Amino acid sequence: MTSAVLTRLNTAWALFQGLLLEAMPFLLIGVLIASLARWFSPGGAWLRRLPDHPVAGPLTGAALGFALPACECGNVPVARRLLVGGAPVGTALGFLFAAPVLNPIVIASTWAAFPDQPWLLLARPLGAVLVALGLALLLRLLPEAVLLRTDLLEERRLNQPLASVSLLERRGGVIGLADDAPPSLPSQPPPSWQEVLRHGSREFLYLALLLVAGCAVAALVQATLPRQWLLAVGGAPTLSIVALMALSLVLSVCSSVDAFLALGFAAQITPGALLAFLLLGPVIDIKLVGLLSLLFRGKGLLLTAAGSGVLVLLIGQWVNLWRL
Amino acid sequence: MRGLALGLWAVVLLQSSVDGRLDLLLRAAFHPLVSSAGGVLLMLAVVQVLVGLRQWRGGGEPSSRQERRLSAATAAVAAMLIALPANPSFADLASQRPADETGEESLSFVLPPAQRSLTDWVRLLRSQPDPQLFDGDPVRISGFVLPMTGAPPQLARLLVRCCLADATPVSLPVRWPVGDPLPRTDQWLAIEGRMAIESGQLEVVPERIQPIPRPARPLEP
Repeated sequence: MTSAVLTRLNTAWALFQGLLLEAMPFLLIGVLIASLARWFSPGGAWLRRLPDHPVAGPLTGAALGFALPACECGNVPVARRLLVGGAPVGTALGFLFAAPVLNPIVIASTWAAFPDQPWLLLARPLGAVLVALGLALLLRLLPEAVLLRTDLLEERRLNQPLASVSLLERRGGVIGLADDAPPSLPSQPPPSWQEVLRHGSREFLYLALLLVAGCAVAALVQATLPRQWLLAVGGAPTLSIVALMALSLVLSVCSSVDAFLALGFAAQITPGALLAFLLLGPVIDIKLVGLLSLLFRGKGLLLTAAGSGVLVLLIGQWVNLWRL
Repeated sequence: MRGLALGLWAVVLLQSSVDGRLDLLLRAAFHPLVSSAGGVLLMLAVVQVLVGLRQWRGGGEPSSRQERRLSAATAAVAAMLIALPANPSFADLASQRPADETGEESLSFVLPPAQRSLTDWVRLLRSQPDPQLFDGDPVRISGFVLPMTGAPPQLARLLVRCCLADATPVSLPVRWPVGDPLPRTDQWLAIEGRMAIESGQLEVVPERIQPIPRPARPLEP
């Protein structure tokens, strides 16, 4: 193996560690919040009272982001908890896709990075809500059984009222349990702290493994793909948006810091491309694919990737028409 | 096994905080977050081990095979992270990135010439591009050697806003002593000298070049 290859591998290993160490605390915060929610509200009765309206649901979910100052890595376990608890899918998706932007830390970091561009401070949260709303409407087209992972769906159905889920679909409760998990009924007492600890630890380790896989791929791509290639088309209205969307997929940094990162090349790109970079990364990137696979099946993941790409491209184009 | 895996991850985060690895990978603002996460994970690991021991003594239900595999896989990754520290080539990383273009139009505070770091110089030259203003100024800077395509190597630093993934280089041209071999790529150097104008552009003319080890905090904000 030549020294150049070894050097590149060393660099990729360092990039991998940087991405992983930066994301790990946010993942832990998300798992802790999800575990606490499970402890204090085991049946999740309040989750089922969240609005199921196609528009009000995602907007409510997006608004929940203000309560969770974490990036997208931390949001995945919380969104999973919402879905397991029986929250309407649209509400959980609104939270999953918009909360990484609609939280105080991300808004503050965007303002700190771009104090001279007030339009961005408004356009980023607004764009995130639009993308979340669009994706939630799009993913509603898929039946839950096609959209959500089987294990997640089974847990979710245990917490849904029989009016909406048949006994056969439940595969548990009255019919007979498929696994050893007790059904989470609304009247059920809180689980013991040992049970919460066991569940939370297992969830953290599983998510950490997915995060490791995502960071490894992102680091390898970063170490081999010269960034200049993506920024070379910075001035072209449409190409710049596409290039910056690709860059956000590759970079895979958390939403709490991506504004500072964008500051480094903001002067070289169109405003639409800048906004596209700040909107797409919190919804999907290489690092996130593994984590999102904890929620979605293949079709759901594909539709999320394609839908977010189209929505962000349209928003970026509109901003370029407005700002250029 | 779950407690062990959590414990190893706690060691990864805590060890990174104390052995200087974080200084190489992350901006300082994030260090307390990583250390705190390591502390929380360590507490969870200890409790998990104690609970596991009690269940084992009491003849409790053993964890499933799938769960043991998950714990073993995450523990293996954590062990690799502990055993293999990061040792990136800054020059290799910089060669993949465009130069940093950020900088204020006018700097509100400017250090005396001999106290300016390489990054200070780059930012100052960007805000005040007239080279005549700095001709003959004393220079004391340090950085790594960054090869340039079709030009002599420059002295460079990496700017980081979050983690190494977003690092962007800044660099200054150097008039390397004629007759001496060019310095090795990635070598860290401390240079004392003066600014001089060459073909309408400022460059550092070294009077003293000292090889130095990589600084404990090589990344700049």
